[in-house]
Amino acid sequence: MEGRFANLWRLTVNESKFVESALQSELRVDGRGLYDYRKLTIKFGKEYGSSEVQLGQTHVMGFVTAQLVQPYKDRPNEGSFSIFTEYSPMADPSFEPGHPGESAVELGRIIDRALRESRAVDTESLCVLAGKLVWSVRIDLHILDNGGNLVDAANIAALAALMTYRRPDCTVGGESSQEVIIHPPEEREPLPLIIHHLPIAFTFGFFNKGSILVMDPTYVEEAVMCGRMTVTVNANGDICAIQKPGEEGVNQSVVLHCLRLASSRAAATTKIIREAVEAYNRERSSQKVKRHHTLAKSEVSGPIVVVRKRQQQKKSSGQEKAAEIHFWLWLWWLIVTFWR
Amino acid sequence: MEIDRVDGRTPNQLRPLACSRNILHRPHGSASWSQGDTKVLAAVYGPKAGTKKNENAEKACFEVIWKPKTGQIGKVEKECEMILKRTIQSICVLTVNPNTTTSVIIQVVHDDGSLLPCAINAACAALVDAGIPMKHLAVAICCCLADNGYVVLDPNKLEEKKMSAFAYLVFPNTTLSVLPEGSSVAEGEPVEHGIITSVTHGVMSVDDYFLCVENGHAATASLSAFFRKNFQQSQRDSSKAG
Repeated sequence: MEGRFANLWRLTVNESKFVESALQSELRVDGRGLYDYRKLTIKFGKEYGSSEVQLGQTHVMGFVTAQLVQPYKDRPNEGSFSIFTEYSPMADPSFEPGHPGESAVELGRIIDRALRESRAVDTESLCVLAGKLVWSVRIDLHILDNGGNLVDAANIAALAALMTYRRPDCTVGGESSQEVIIHPPEEREPLPLIIHHLPIAFTFGFFNKGSILVMDPTYVEEAVMCGRMTVTVNANGDICAIQKPGEEGVNQSVVLHCLRLASSRAAATTKIIREAVEAYNRERSSQKVKRHHTLAKSEVSGPIVVVRKRQQQKKSSGQEKAAEIHFWLWLWWLIVTFWR
Repeated sequence: MEIDRVDGRTPNQLRPLACSRNILHRPHGSASWSQGDTKVLAAVYGPKAGTKKNENAEKACFEVIWKPKTGQIGKVEKECEMILKRTIQSICVLTVNPNTTTSVIIQVVHDDGSLLPCAINAACAALVDAGIPMKHLAVAICCCLADNGYVVLDPNKLEEKKMSAFAYLVFPNTTLSVLPEGSSVAEGEPVEHGIITSVTHGVMSVDDYFLCVENGHAATASLSAFFRKNFQQSQRDSSKAG
């Protein structure tokens, strides 16, 4: 097992000193300003509820699925949702496969708290039969590439996937109105989830004993920084969650400054997410219209494989031989007949 | 008698292929491969020091981690990991970096039939991107047998469920020879033929299986041509940028 530890990526002393001394003069290694974010792109997959978010070099995918389960005893009228975070070994050579480590669990808890406690996702609309059947929504977050600031990227991936997810429509029927019929998407249009507001996470990194503040740290800066804090706010100016897990102590004025920075950026990020979701919805509905016209035959243009037929040759050689034998027999009969 | 496929393909027609390499920054090699709607992401971390306990320390060792889209890792995923690991071991040169471990991580993005062949093709592309020494590429295809004895290539999920049997076949890629046809047996090492890996589901007769193999082998020509074109194009782009 010592071989494993020899492969962990460690920052050299020269690199960490360079990053720190550059920050003293308010310069960041990738040329950004102290409070600038990297480029954010949000893409969606084929199915409902799958999103792919890229924040600079950080790459996160989110998938949303739902199934019918029994509700909790103390909340018989509400559905539930749960977040599963997968730190894939693809993202970082130090991530081990198997059970999630501390940072994976912390990331899942930050996003979960922001969505649950602030009631961003409406759980009462997920109830089908009070006390018997409710929808349980499951959010899977896959970290594909660790370029730093996983919390923000994973949060946006979860929100984008939730906004584009459609759950199957179901009706209560049967003899004693206890049976639930789930309609497949071809029969009835699936329904979106009701989301009241979007809580967006902003991560800050502290350097030089808490005096220098940086937003959206890269993985190099994360290895150097002495403390961090994540603030989750929404566009209405509400603070949904604050997470500061120990490390370097920071002055109150700095914390308030962070909150102000986060609230000023929340509106812009919310707008980016909503625009991406609307563009995806428009494209999806225009595709549906096309399908009605062309009878579900897509323009598939894959390569065509040519297979040479060897079997027919075998059959013809057999037939030829039989014909030859027939010919010789006939010739022999002819000779014998005319010999007389 | 012709078969009617839902999306209008002929029985011997593959879905549109797409491959992009070097999409992730931390791994040493990465590739995404899609056949129609099935999409798989593969990442490779190059040779790390040391091998696992039961592995031969005189050869390079490979480790495969398969990540499904949702849910826990179960027996199906472990089986896929084992098949992929054995396939990669047979195509890579194991004597160049002895006593090292190379990790290949597969992430399923969308499964619309023919998932394991897609993953094998993605892993090959990622290994090429990472620069791991290989003897030749492994080209994977799924052939399934319809009820009336016809062989259908590259089925999607609905077709896979309907068919009586199907087989995942992996062949070495076809070589592009500069020499004329007659001198293919000439100097140097003999070119490998034959099946590297074959995984079957369902019941099929021996003749039907050989028919599947024949059709699958014919498909390797078009898949190898696609691989070659894709690698050459990206090389040309990178040399222009550099």
